Amino acid sequence: MFVIAPFLWALSTSFKDFNSVTGGAKYIPWLQFEPSLEGWSVLIRSQGKGGVNIIEPYFNSVFVTCSASLLSIIFGTLAAYALSRFTFKAGFIKNNDITFFFISQRIMPPIVLSIPFFLMLGFLGLLDSLLGLILVYMVLLMPIAVWIMVDFFNRVPKEIDETALIDGCNPFEAFFKVVLPNSIPGLIVAGLFCIIFGWIDFFFAFILTFTKVQLLPVAIVALNSSVTPWWSLSASALVSVAPLIIVAFIVERYLSKGNLSGALK
Amino acid sequence: MAEIELKNIAHSYDYKSENPTYALNPFSLTWEDGGCYAILGPSGCGKTTMLNIMSGLVSPSKGSVLFDGTDITSVKTEKRNIAQVFQFPVIYNTMSVYSNLAFPLKCRNFDENIIKSKVIEVAEILNLNLFLDKAAKDLTADQKQLISLGRGLVREDVAAILMDEPLTVIDPDLKFRLRRKLKEINEKYNTTLIYVTHDQNEAMTFAKKIIVMDSGNIVQVGNPKELFERPQTTFVGYFIGSPAMNIYDCAVLSDFDVSIGNIQLKTSTNLSNVKSGQLKIGIRSEFIKLVNNKSENTIEAKIEIVEDFGNYKLITVNKNNLIIKAKVERETTIPHDVVLLNIPAEHCCIYQNKNLI
Repeated sequence: MFVIAPFLWALSTSFKDFNSVTGGAKYIPWLQFEPSLEGWSVLIRSQGKGGVNIIEPYFNSVFVTCSASLLSIIFGTLAAYALSRFTFKAGFIKNNDITFFFISQRIMPPIVLSIPFFLMLGFLGLLDSLLGLILVYMVLLMPIAVWIMVDFFNRVPKEIDETALIDGCNPFEAFFKVVLPNSIPGLIVAGLFCIIFGWIDFFFAFILTFTKVQLLPVAIVALNSSVTPWWSLSASALVSVAPLIIVAFIVERYLSKGNLSGALK
Repeated sequence: MAEIELKNIAHSYDYKSENPTYALNPFSLTWEDGGCYAILGPSGCGKTTMLNIMSGLVSPSKGSVLFDGTDITSVKTEKRNIAQVFQFPVIYNTMSVYSNLAFPLKCRNFDENIIKSKVIEVAEILNLNLFLDKAAKDLTADQKQLISLGRGLVREDVAAILMDEPLTVIDPDLKFRLRRKLKEINEKYNTTLIYVTHDQNEAMTFAKKIIVMDSGNIVQVGNPKELFERPQTTFVGYFIGSPAMNIYDCAVLSDFDVSIGNIQLKTSTNLSNVKSGQLKIGIRSEFIKLVNNKSENTIEAKIEIVEDFGNYKLITVNKNNLIIKAKVERETTIPHDVVLLNIPAEHCCIYQNKNLI
């Protein structure tokens, strides 16, 4: 009920026009109205013809989220493997402290980071650019990747690595040929979380961009003007959650098939 | 194939701390090429550490490892050409059985044809030839363990195959057959096998030479007969044999006689030089005989329990609060109250400060 109802509400609103939204229905609130494609058509119409700018932010979002997730997974996995397998010690700081340091990045409220990020990107000349956003998102997503992968690698018995060494791999081959293929389920879960958290972020997308580069969440909020266009807002909201739902469905299928079970014994 | 020599090896996992605790106390040991060894000892006695030192997974705090006289202490695991099988089957889940078996050869860039013929040969030995195309993760636990074993066997020139309680997950019948197969492999290919176990039966039936360990020390190296008849320490006496050796405090009476409480026993050990130290006498329950007539070394004792184990009977008797266990043949008729037990002098082992005299 609480999960589906907002979606249905948005779905029905997206097919309404101004009168249906504000006037309300006579008998059945969600179904009794004249369907209109106004809400959807604004999304694809060019801006000159009264449309809204949503397609470019959409692809910006896809690009930024995917790049940042991919980089976070690559670096996060390497960091997690090192944290899981090797012992680090610098004074009182040990492996667990380093792992916690990664996670602590997600514990503090994002607003704490906003000013430093703004200044840093300003210094580097990367404000209002895709590259700048990718870098910032990487900082936000890597803790998730490290956290999930450390836990995953800890559950992969170290005998697997040792066996690979005994069989004649060097430590890098052991990681890439043996440990990594065994960790695909973890990679998928970590990737999924990165994509979700990257995709839904509004805060940094809002603060670190102005006019040149816009991401989807910011563009959707920007639709709101003096008269709230509920129909196009609903339509764009549905469009923005669609990729996540599709990804979730595919992964869920894949996971439930048992192909990804992490058992090694 | 190589002779492996461990020279003055000692290992501590916290070597750099002020008071390191040693998992392995200093020792030297040579494993002959083509030998069939078992390392026997309770959990935590340093067996696995010793294996890991040989395979290079652990570098020893002190001492050196030599393969055929060449010092390889600092050589990395992947360059050592040694095989190790762990307690639980370690297989590469994402690969087929064939790829699993071929992996050690592929890592060493062998020719594809050689790999194929070798994998098929090993698969036949281990009865895995019907599963070669299957995904390794779909096999049963014992088949998976065979794969682990197979990965050690595909390399002909491997210095030794180290096995760390490899048959724990396998059911008894197959265990027996696998042990036989391992022995066959040892005889056929002359591969050095080193087998770690805490099960004395496994060690006794498998190995020609057994290394008994206790809390980081090698306490005895010998063949099954030596371990059974002449345990070098009281620990070996306790640890090997079922039931454990009967061990009692004793005192010297004369050159060859000792007393346990008020029981007097003749032994075959010359005790004339024994002046001090805690003395104990150990008698295997298998050597104690039930007799009808009193003679030398005969004790009259009250029967407490008679247990029938199917293939033998274990009688527990009490002589002045001294509990003695004796193993007798199943058909033996046992009197109800009092029995006469004969303890052969040549099977009395005398220990001074826990070490055999």
